[in-house]
Amino acid sequence: MKILIIEDEYQLLKTIEEFLLSEKYIVEKATDYYSAVEKVMIYDYDCILLDISLPGGSGLKILDEMKKEGKTGNIIIISAKNSLEDKISGLDSGADDYLTKPFHVLELHARIKAVLRRKQMDGKQTVALGDLSVDFVQRQVLVNNRLLKLNRKEFDMLSFFIINKNRLITKEALAEHVWGDDMDLADSFDFVYSQVKNLRKKLKSAGSEIIFENVYGTGYILRV
Amino acid sequence: MKLINHLILRISIVFTAVMLFWSAICFFLQMKEIHDGNDEGLTNLKQEFIAKANSSPKFAETLEMHNPLNIIIEEIAYEEAAGIVENFTTGKIYFATEEEKEEVRMLTTAFRCEQNGKYYRLQFFTSTVESNDLLENILCLLLGLWITLSLTIFVAGKIIIAGANRPFYNLLDELKKFRLDNSRMIDFTQTDVREYAQLNESVREVLEENINTFTGQKIFIENISHELQTPLSIVIAKLELLIEKYRDNRDYAREIAGVLNILNRMKRLNSNLLLLSKIKNRQFPEVSSVNLRNTLKLALDNFEDLVNYKEITVEESGEASPSMQMNEDLAYIMFSNLIKNAVAHNRKGGEIVIRYASDSIEIANSGNAGAVDVFERYRNVPADETSSGLGLSIVKSITELYGIELDYRYDKYHVFTLHLK
Repeated sequence: MKILIIEDEYQLLKTIEEFLLSEKYIVEKATDYYSAVEKVMIYDYDCILLDISLPGGSGLKILDEMKKEGKTGNIIIISAKNSLEDKISGLDSGADDYLTKPFHVLELHARIKAVLRRKQMDGKQTVALGDLSVDFVQRQVLVNNRLLKLNRKEFDMLSFFIINKNRLITKEALAEHVWGDDMDLADSFDFVYSQVKNLRKKLKSAGSEIIFENVYGTGYILRV
Repeated sequence: MKLINHLILRISIVFTAVMLFWSAICFFLQMKEIHDGNDEGLTNLKQEFIAKANSSPKFAETLEMHNPLNIIIEEIAYEEAAGIVENFTTGKIYFATEEEKEEVRMLTTAFRCEQNGKYYRLQFFTSTVESNDLLENILCLLLGLWITLSLTIFVAGKIIIAGANRPFYNLLDELKKFRLDNSRMIDFTQTDVREYAQLNESVREVLEENINTFTGQKIFIENISHELQTPLSIVIAKLELLIEKYRDNRDYAREIAGVLNILNRMKRLNSNLLLLSKIKNRQFPEVSSVNLRNTLKLALDNFEDLVNYKEITVEESGEASPSMQMNEDLAYIMFSNLIKNAVAHNRKGGEIVIRYASDSIEIANSGNAGAVDVFERYRNVPADETSSGLGLSIVKSITELYGIELDYRYDKYHVFTLHLK
């Protein structure tokens, strides 16, 4: 999978690159408008991470250029602008998703996976992991080929674990992925803990052997 | 007291004093004039009488018989006559025809008749203007004049002063309505009065400067919090990679998680600050008819898990489904923050009571007592370490933007009421 990062902030670029490389993606970089347009026009990418404010021109203009040329990429806008207006114009111009800075790298990962999945043409959307089989389109989970009923938030939790398997998932990243930005509450940590506990219980009673390892005081790891 | 009444009252006091003074002068001059006229007549009469008495012996003999109605003639001794000094007096004399005493002007003099050498006292009198009547008349006239003039001054004053002061009063009205965070310059009334033109100009300059400073600060805050997003992103991303590296070292991982926790708080604080300044800077121009009941439900649904976790019961009452013209996202953010507040400050097993009416929505929660100044920015209850404390400020600025009246009261429950227009 080839990913292009268009980002003028070098430190952020490096960090995202490092993360994506560790996830075995092939990474290319562009740090300004012109080199970004050049790369986008010449090569095809499975996913493009696009910063809006770039030296030389707006990221939104790159989207327009691509549209003109009939180029489609799986584009995720990464912007410090959290303006809802920006979000709308970005998505109107053909972006697939919009992520506001600052973000959790695991969230970025989940978004990239989701975008890639959506654009997969073969329709196979199922990920198998141990005794679990997760269908992201139908939003269904099979444990040992038997359907396990999960509510929306439980499914979101499980999918976040699966996408970020073998990684340390902080409670904050998990809470934000599942419940959004609104969860800045004092008791949200205990709350997340109890929700994960419930999910564990459900999986266990369905006969799954999968384990979310509790890393005390920080978060969880789904080890495979 | 209104300026115009203040002015008119003072003018009236001065005016009354002048009128009283003038009335007194007028009265005395008038009386003097009348007496002078009378006195002249009496003097003429006296001279004529004396001339006749002295020249005609017959007349002198029958002098006392000539005692006409307006002359009293009395023979007196020389000594008495010598003591009489000719004088004018005002007195009262009984008139049989009128059956009352009338005020008269009287000339008293002594006279020696040359024909018979006798001394007489002569009293010539003529009825004169009743000074009381005159006084009354004059006072009546003056009172009438005074009332007329006062009314004239009052009405003309109102019209003229109010007219001349219109730029001033308009300016006052406009200043009352002026809101700094509105960033809209007030309307000035054109005027030819130099002082008012100067006043307008000075006010305009001061306001312009304030608006510019205020807008500058708002934009500055927005820019700063915007600029902070990128370094925050870098640090958070870097630490997230770092924690991954040290995940098996429990101490390191916990330390890094602690820092990440603080950074995430900072992130929320910053994005709330950004949102707040965007609301204040009116960057949400799109409005549509928003069904507030549905929007509130949506926000409530988002907190469903947390509500269940805290074993909070949510009670909804009222059939009304109010809607209003506003930005849909802001409506959601407003309710989301109110619900968040109701959940965060609630106790385990508490309640949230929502009441819908056609013109108001009430959200009550059974939190701990004692919250004061709930809308104060950065207010934070000590137990709440992760909240940005900006939630209710955001709610307040959204309600202000759309003219919704938001009030808070504590009556066993913390009750937030939105009064819709």
